[in-house]
Amino acid sequence: MRWKAFPDPVHDGQRQFRRVLAAMAEPGTLQVAEAPAVPDDAAIGAALWGTLLALCDLETRLWIAPGLEAGGLIDALGFHTGCRVTAAPEEADFALVTPASLSAPAPAFAEGSDAYPDRSTTLLVVLDALAEEGPWRLAGPGIPGTRTLEVGAAAPLMRRLAANRARFPRGLDAILTCGERLAAIPRSTRLEAQALGQPQEDSACMSQ
Amino acid sequence: MNGYNFAYLDEQTKRMIRRGLLKAVAIPGYQVPFGGREMPMPYGWGTGGMQLTASILGEEDVLKVIDQGADDTTNAVSIRAFFERVAGVETTTATADANVIQTRHRIPETPLAAGQILVFQVPIPEPLRFIEPSEEETRMMHALEEYGVMHVKLYEDIARHGHIATTYAYPVKVDGRYVTDPSPIPKFDNPKLHMSEALMLFGAGREKRLYAIPPHTRVESLDFEDHPFEIQEWDAPCALCGARDSFLDEVITDDRGGRMFVCSDTDYCQNRQEEVA
Amino acid sequence: MYVAVKGGEQAIANAHRWLADRRRGERDRPELSVDQIAGQLNLAVDRVMAEASLYDPELAALALKQASGDLVEAVFLLRAYRTTLPRLAETVPVDTDAMRVERRISATYKDIPGGQVLGPTYDYTHRLLDFMQLAEGETPEPARAEQALEACPQILELLDDEGLVEREVDDGAAPYDITRDPPDFPVDRATRLQMLARGDEGYLLALGYSTQRGYGRNHPFAGEIRIGAVEVEIVVEEREAPVCLGEITLSECQMINQFGGSREAAPQFTRGYGLAFGRNERKGMAMALVDRALRAEELGEPVQGPAQQAEFVLAHADSVEASGFVSHLKLPHYVDFQSELELLRRLRRDHVARHESAPSAPAETPAEEPQA
Repeated sequence: MRWKAFPDPVHDGQRQFRRVLAAMAEPGTLQVAEAPAVPDDAAIGAALWGTLLALCDLETRLWIAPGLEAGGLIDALGFHTGCRVTAAPEEADFALVTPASLSAPAPAFAEGSDAYPDRSTTLLVVLDALAEEGPWRLAGPGIPGTRTLEVGAAAPLMRRLAANRARFPRGLDAILTCGERLAAIPRSTRLEAQALGQPQEDSACMSQ
Repeated sequence: MNGYNFAYLDEQTKRMIRRGLLKAVAIPGYQVPFGGREMPMPYGWGTGGMQLTASILGEEDVLKVIDQGADDTTNAVSIRAFFERVAGVETTTATADANVIQTRHRIPETPLAAGQILVFQVPIPEPLRFIEPSEEETRMMHALEEYGVMHVKLYEDIARHGHIATTYAYPVKVDGRYVTDPSPIPKFDNPKLHMSEALMLFGAGREKRLYAIPPHTRVESLDFEDHPFEIQEWDAPCALCGARDSFLDEVITDDRGGRMFVCSDTDYCQNRQEEVA
Repeated sequence: MYVAVKGGEQAIANAHRWLADRRRGERDRPELSVDQIAGQLNLAVDRVMAEASLYDPELAALALKQASGDLVEAVFLLRAYRTTLPRLAETVPVDTDAMRVERRISATYKDIPGGQVLGPTYDYTHRLLDFMQLAEGETPEPARAEQALEACPQILELLDDEGLVEREVDDGAAPYDITRDPPDFPVDRATRLQMLARGDEGYLLALGYSTQRGYGRNHPFAGEIRIGAVEVEIVVEEREAPVCLGEITLSECQMINQFGGSREAAPQFTRGYGLAFGRNERKGMAMALVDRALRAEELGEPVQGPAQQAEFVLAHADSVEASGFVSHLKLPHYVDFQSELELLRRLRRDHVARHESAPSAPAETPAEEPQA
C-alpha cells in the first residue's frame, strides 16, 4: 500500500487528535503534523492524511471534492479506516475540499440545526499556503484579542466561513491544511479581511 | 493492563468522543450528545470525565486528579489509580506539573497555563434542568436562546432571600450565547472560567453529553444590575497556610463547636506552607 | 494541630479485602461455584443477563457471585464488561414464531392451536416454605412429553387474519442503537423497546401496575406469553442462507389492549409488547404494559399517568444509571456544602438584623410576625 498507516495507530492517532484539538481550541495557531508521507501523486498533504487516519472510521461519511481523490486515496481510506465515501454533501461528517471547490455551485454541506448544531459537516481543506500572520483577522473564543492568518488564494472558503457568524450556532467548522501544517477556523470565529499585506515568503508549502 | 486497550476505551469509542470534542470546542457551551459508554465505575462517580480523559490522554501526558480540590480524597485516589493501571501515565499532585487535570467540584487555585486541559466531571449538564425537567423543552430553549426562565428563577431567590441562593453550579453564559452549567464548582471558582489560559472540557457520562469552554473565551456568571454576581468570602484566612484568596473548607475539630477553616486545594495549601517554612 | 487526613489509597485497599472476605463467608463451608449459580439460581442469572443486555449465563453467574447476590451490582458488572466487547456482526431478527416453546399460555382463549403449555412455572405453587429443602431432600425427575412441542402459531396472528388487531409492520429501517448513540427525545417505538428491555424489572413492574390501577388505564389482556429457545443467525458472505450461531432462551409477551379507531379506520385491538432474555416472564409482562402506555400519544389517548410520559419513564428506567447517581451522594460534597453553609449563615444574619431593626414587631407574639 502506497498510503501508510500510523506506525503506532493508538498513540500516533492520539497525538494527531491533540494537534487538531489544540488547533480548534486556539483558532489561527499552526500545528505541525508528524504523519506518514503521502504518495507523490496525492492531492492532499501529510497533515490532512494524518487527520483522516485519526478521526475517520466505519461510522463516518466523507465527501471528496473532484480531484482530491488522486493517487488512490479512496481505496487507501477504505483499507485503513473503513470510512464510507458519500456523493451527498449534506450527509457528510467530513468533506475534503479546496477553496475553489466551494465556489458556485457550492456543495450543500450540513450545517446542523439550531437544536442540534453539532450535526454538521467539518471541512478538511487543502490550501496552497498556510502561515501565521496574514491578511485574515480572526477573533472570538480561543483567541486573545486577534490573530491573523495567511491562507493563500482562498476567497470562496473564507467567504463561506465568514458567513458562519450570521447563522450561529449552525455552521461549518474548518480544519485547514497545507503539507504538514494544520490550523483550524471553527464556526465561533469572527473572520474578516484586513488591509491586504504581502503574503509571507514561507507561507507556500510543498504538497507533502 | 491485560485485555484492555491503552486508557481502557477502545479506539472506535475514543474517535467518537474525539469527534464530539471538536464539535464542542467549535460551539462553546453547547452540550454535544455522545454515545457514552459504561465505565467500570458507577455513573455519577465521574464516568463522563473519565471517558473524556481516556480519549485525550497520551503516553507523554502527566495527569492530576482532584475531588473537592484535594488529590487524596477517595474518589480522586481511585480514578488516579485507574489511569495509572490502564494507561500507565505519570501522575502528579502539582497543578503546575500536570497537562491534563481531571476534577470534581473545584478549579485549582494556581492559575492554569496555556496547553493545560482541565476535564470536569459533570452530574447534570443541563443548567435549565431544575427549572424544566424535560429534555425536549430545554433543547428548544437553547435553540431559541430563550433563557428568561433562568433569570426569573434567580430573581425569585432575590425576592425571597435578598440574595441569589445558588452557591454552586452557578449558571454562566459562554461567549454571549449558551447558558451553561459549570459543573458543581462553588461560584467562587466561576471567575476562573473567564478568559482562562487552559482548555476546559466537561463530560457527563450518565446524561451522555460533553461540552467545552476554549481558552480565552468570555464566560459571564448570570446576574442583575442591582444584584451583581459576587463570590464567597471568609472572615479568617486558611488556618494552615494563611491564604486569604482561596476557597476554604470548614473542619470540625471537636464536639464543643470548635472549627477551623483550611484550603480545599491541598496542593496550593502545601506549596504555601513550604514557602513559609 | 489539624492535619488533613491522608491514606485514601490504603483505606480503599483495606475495604476491598474486607469485602472479599465477607463475600467468601465462613471458610469451613464449601465455596459456591459459578456452575451452581448458573444452574440453581437461574432466574437471577436471567434477570442479570436481561438488564445487562448480554446473553452469557456463565458470566452473569460470575457477576452474581462477585456481587454477593446483589442483582443491581451484578447487572452493572456485566454491563461494564459488555461495553468493552467488539461488535463482530449483526444478527438477523430472531423469529419468535419459530420458538421451541417450553411454556406458552394465553388468557384470551380457553383452547388454542398448539395448546396451553404451563411449563416450569411458579404460578400455581402454594407459597408455603418447603422445609424439606432445608434438609436437602431429593428432587424427583420431571414428567417429560414423548416428543418436543412443534413450533406453534402466535395467538395474535389469529386475530390478525380477521383484522381485529392492529398489524405490526416491519418497515425494514435499521433501528436506532441505544448502545452506540444517546437517545434524543422523543424517541420512536423501536428505541423505546430497547430501553425498556434493559430497564429495571422492579421499576417497570411498578409502572405497569400503576396503569392497571387507573393511571393511564388501557384494559390489557395477556394475549400470549411464550418462553422458549430461538435460533440466532447471522448472514455470512458466500452463504445463501443465514448461519445459525446457537440458541438463546427468550420470554415474550403480547398484550392485547383496548381498541382504537376513527371515522376512517375501523376499530381494532392494539398491542403492547415485551421481550426479555431468559425466563423473565414478569419483566416481559411489565414491559408490555409500559410499552402500550407509552403509545398513548400515537393512539390519540390523553396522557394522564406517569407511565404514559415517555421521557420520564425512559430516562429513569436503567438501574445502572439510577443506582450510580443515587449512590454518588456518598461521595464527598463538602465544597458545595460549604458554599451552602456560607450562604445560609449570611441569610440568617440578615434575618436577625432585619428583625432587630424592626422594633415595632411585638416580640411576644411571633404568630403575628409579618411573613418574609
